[in-house]
Amino acid sequence: MDESITFLHSSDWQLGMMRRFLGPDGQARWGQARLDAVARIGEVAERTGAAFVVVTGDVFEHNQVERQTILRACEALKRIPVPVVLLPGNHDALEPGSLWTSSQWLAHAPDHVTVLTETTPFQIVPGVELVGAPWRSRRPLSDPAAPGYADLTADPKTTRILLAHGQLTSLSGGMSDVPTIDQAALEAAVADGRLQYVGLGDRHSTTRVTDRIWFSGTQEVTSPEEDAPGNVLKVVIGAGEIDVEPIRVGAWHMVDHRVELFDEESITALEDWFAELPDKERTYVRLAGDGSLSLPLLARLDTIIDAQGEVFASVERWAKFWTVRPAPDAADLESLQLSGPARAAMEELRQALAGGDESAGAALSLMHRLARDAG
Amino acid sequence: MRLHSLALRDFRGVKDRIVRFRALGTTVVVGDNEVGKSSLVEAFGLIFDLPDDSKSTRIRDIQPVGQDVGPEVTVELSLAGRELTYSKRWLKNRSTELTIAEPDGRRQSWTGREAHNEAERLFHENVDPVLWQTLMVSQGQSLVLPTPADAEPLITAVTAESGTPVDGASMPLVTAVEHEFLRYWTPRGKPTGDFARSAKAVAAAELGFKQALQAMEEVQSDIRRAERLNLDLADVTARLTEHLAGVEALRERKQATDEILLRRDSVRSRAETARARLENHTRTRLERERLLDEVERFTKAHTELAARRADAELVAKTAAETVQAAEAALAEVVELKDLRRTDVQTAERRVSDLMDRAELDRLVGQQTELIDVRARIAAAWTILDRIKVDDALVAALEDARAAVVEARAALAAGVPEVSVRRLGSEPVELSGTGLEGNVPAELGFDESTEVLVSGELLVGVPGQVEVTVRAGGDAAALRSRVDDAVRREKDLLKKAGVKDVAAARELLRKADTATAELNEARRTEKSLTAGGDPGERIAVLTARLGTDEEAEDAGGKEAAVEGVPGQMSLFEEFASPHDTLFDDFDVPEPEPDDLSSAQRVLEEARSGLADAERLLTDAEFAAAQARKAADEDRSEAQNARARSELAGERLAAAVEALEAARAVLDDEAVAAAETEATAEVEAVLEELTAVQEQADEAGADQVAGELTHALAVATRLQGERDNLRDALRTTEGRLEQSGRDGLATRRDVAELELAAVRTEHDSLLRRAEAARRVHETLSRHRAEAQTKYSEPLQSRIEALGRSVYGPSFRVWLDDDLAVAERELDGVRLPVEALSTGAQEQMAIITRLAISHLVSTGEGSVPVIFDDALGWSDKARLRDMGALLGRAGDHGQVIILTCMPDRYEYVPKATFIKLDG
Repeated sequence: MDESITFLHSSDWQLGMMRRFLGPDGQARWGQARLDAVARIGEVAERTGAAFVVVTGDVFEHNQVERQTILRACEALKRIPVPVVLLPGNHDALEPGSLWTSSQWLAHAPDHVTVLTETTPFQIVPGVELVGAPWRSRRPLSDPAAPGYADLTADPKTTRILLAHGQLTSLSGGMSDVPTIDQAALEAAVADGRLQYVGLGDRHSTTRVTDRIWFSGTQEVTSPEEDAPGNVLKVVIGAGEIDVEPIRVGAWHMVDHRVELFDEESITALEDWFAELPDKERTYVRLAGDGSLSLPLLARLDTIIDAQGEVFASVERWAKFWTVRPAPDAADLESLQLSGPARAAMEELRQALAGGDESAGAALSLMHRLARDAG
Repeated sequence: MRLHSLALRDFRGVKDRIVRFRALGTTVVVGDNEVGKSSLVEAFGLIFDLPDDSKSTRIRDIQPVGQDVGPEVTVELSLAGRELTYSKRWLKNRSTELTIAEPDGRRQSWTGREAHNEAERLFHENVDPVLWQTLMVSQGQSLVLPTPADAEPLITAVTAESGTPVDGASMPLVTAVEHEFLRYWTPRGKPTGDFARSAKAVAAAELGFKQALQAMEEVQSDIRRAERLNLDLADVTARLTEHLAGVEALRERKQATDEILLRRDSVRSRAETARARLENHTRTRLERERLLDEVERFTKAHTELAARRADAELVAKTAAETVQAAEAALAEVVELKDLRRTDVQTAERRVSDLMDRAELDRLVGQQTELIDVRARIAAAWTILDRIKVDDALVAALEDARAAVVEARAALAAGVPEVSVRRLGSEPVELSGTGLEGNVPAELGFDESTEVLVSGELLVGVPGQVEVTVRAGGDAAALRSRVDDAVRREKDLLKKAGVKDVAAARELLRKADTATAELNEARRTEKSLTAGGDPGERIAVLTARLGTDEEAEDAGGKEAAVEGVPGQMSLFEEFASPHDTLFDDFDVPEPEPDDLSSAQRVLEEARSGLADAERLLTDAEFAAAQARKAADEDRSEAQNARARSELAGERLAAAVEALEAARAVLDDEAVAAAETEATAEVEAVLEELTAVQEQADEAGADQVAGELTHALAVATRLQGERDNLRDALRTTEGRLEQSGRDGLATRRDVAELELAAVRTEHDSLLRRAEAARRVHETLSRHRAEAQTKYSEPLQSRIEALGRSVYGPSFRVWLDDDLAVAERELDGVRLPVEALSTGAQEQMAIITRLAISHLVSTGEGSVPVIFDDALGWSDKARLRDMGALLGRAGDHGQVIILTCMPDRYEYVPKATFIKLDG
């Protein structure tokens, strides 16, 4: 291994994925952005002189994606000017009815694209072998990476890159309902020279496990929970050295934001926060809120969120963590100068809310707004 | 406000009138139509509305037609504690004057426009226009229900009494809430608009998602199925591969043992050949034994059957002879019977002849007597033909005789009897008519005559005298009667051919005698010819007797009966006792001459025939029996002969077959060949046993069996593998199709759509629920306030109404404090559904209640009814009258009417009559 080899590592494109919180318009734009990110990987490959690109699993969201998704994926792959090797993951496993064996894929797959369907080493360029462990079922019975390197012995003349997909035992926290990848075994294989790099998929956040074991993360963000999505890894393997560099290719953001709302200042702070966010049209915001607001402030908050929803790709109240309550005070009611039955009705709703009747809150807000507008 | 008086001058048709009202109580102003009642109301309105210089058409309208005068109105009233006197004249000599007496006694006066302005100000400040319009009921408006919600005095009174202020400021909110509610809900609370559409969209999206999910579940199921099939296929393929290896090993073992098996097959083949040869020789021996046995059996049978045949033929011959004897005896008996029948016929013929002869004799005598009788009949007819008299004619003659005598006697008694005697020489001539008696034409001398003159008698003496006697009286009639009687008697005598009655009687007696003779002769003739004409029968009998005699001559030549030969055993039994019968034929008896003898001979002959017939029956039976027995014996003999001949043929055939077989191979050679073949078989079997032992040692047969079984298993496994492959291909085909259909994407899209419409619907639902909650809460509070607010007016209306309708009367008011519904006797109806009378009464009651409610305040005004209660019946008029009377206790009530009868029940009312 006299010369270094440069390649790109990506995973979890999950083309055809849908996100209900984005709505139809947001979904369409986001879906296109994921394809655009693939095209940008091609640009990175060209720029970095990568010899090839590996995608370690979950190229497609599902084996039964629509024809349009496959055709557009093929078009995006054509934008990558170097050989591309794809590994079936749990989403697009090499199971019966797999997309990879379908006539649709076989008819349109670009020639420079190879799907790893076997565990036998595949020489991608002279001196570099790719060994893969494709998923053959969504429910593997054992370490899904093991078949890829189980029978290997170290070969000083060959750089071996393992392509695998699945959660690491060490990172899953024992919560995975499918068998996980034995990190120690991987590290041992790396340590004894059988493998020079392990490219992993399934985790959407770019994650360095060791110098030679990496999750590339998804090319475009899919959830606010992801730490570092939207990257492709540029991997350079030289004689006894390795350099891995995440390069951003994603354009979207998905953000969780927690706020305490109790007065006008907190509302203003939220407004400011919205204002400072970049790429608003490509950003999804999930708001977690707590606190209580007077009826006028609550109405203002509603207005702000509604308005931002028009600006951003989507702004959602995170139902599970949204506990902002109306807190009508005497001044609210007095300011409306209601009398007679109207005042009595509003007072009844206020008392109901105070007594824990949550639905009274919405009614109270509505009545407040109507009274204010009518006044 | 209290109205004290109203004065009109030159106002429409009113020249000058003043009407004073009771300040408290009810005033009824009565006047005919066009007398100006309504003008009072109109005048009150005009004086406050229009200044004296007004050019309004309303002013011109009140000017009396054709009079250039200025209409003038003066009103006196109390207003806010002041007493006002207000006068105004328009058009001519216009003027306005207002005088106000303050409560403290101060007085102020204004004139002209100032007076108008001040009066207008005072009126508008102190009289609420809504209340004023509500309580003043113009003509024709009595049915209109008041809607007094905006009447300030009423609001003040209601608010004061209920403690609930009116909440007019909230109305925009109420409207907004209502509007917001109706954005999401129908008035009946059903989802509507975008909210309803979103619910439908959610339902549709849920269905779409469910279907897409189901399709994907089927895909997952297919994937699992394909995975299982793959595993099963791998398993079966592995087992098949392993099994085929075992098959190959078996094949190699089998090749090694095949040589032994080939040898065994060769020995087996030879053994089979030797065994077949032995079987052939054994069969030949058995065949030879069978032939020998057959010859022996057939020889014995043939001998036995020949003996039986001889016996049977002997029996048959005997039977035939018996039949011949019986038939001969039968022929004899037949002949005997024929002889006996001939005897009978001969005897019968003899009896017949004798009887015919006796009959012939009797007929000849009868014919002689008949000739005599017929001669007597002819003689009697001869007599009778000559006599023309009968009993009736004689009686008629006798009657005619009596009539003549009687007529003549009457004539003699009734006409003159003239006696003429010639006394002289002078001829006396007699002539005349109707003369009875001897009337000569001329009397001889002394000749006299007596003449009955029924006509005229001329007795003359020529030249001397002529006497005329004329009968008078009934002489002519008596004469005519005598003539008629005489003429009838003559006619009858002529008819009878006699000269008188006595002759007639004689002839009659002769006729009777002849008739008796004739009748007796006829009876005799009839009895003689009763059996026909004797002559004809005589001819027949004569002819027959002649023939019989010829026949008798021929009968004597009949052949004699011959003897009958027969079967003696039967025939002799009946033939022997009757030998005498046959003897009778030999000596025929002479025919008897008398009838009794002949008849006895006939009886004997008939008895002989009966005996012969019995003999014949017996002989026929015996012959039939003999024939039957002979037939049976003959049949038996034929059978025995046939069997005997058959046995002979079989025997000949068996002998022939045996000899033919022996010609090929004699009996000894047959036995030797079999013994040789047996030895060969035993030798080959011994060799086969040895080879089989070798094969058993090598396990040759098991190897072949195992290989066959292994091949069957391989085939089964291949079948299983093929089936699994087919199933896998089918499943993979479905999955390929699922992939083409993009089912996962469809599911995701459906989920996305569902989430989108659900989000929108949830948002709408929250808003809709909030709107409903607000609407419901506000409506409830408003209803409660409304109930409380309207209660003072409602309670007064109900109090007044119950005095008219009774205790079940209730009302409900709407937001405008107008009566919306009425309940009576448990029946609740909207006021629009009430009768016209009830609506008018409700309108009056409501106004009186309003008046009562505001009566204590400063803003009270009179209640004015211009022509009301036109729709109420008598009973209601009484109750309403009482009500109006009570209303007067609390305020001023003014009623204008042309029908004072309607208000006669108003107590304490002041009636003012307006004249025209």
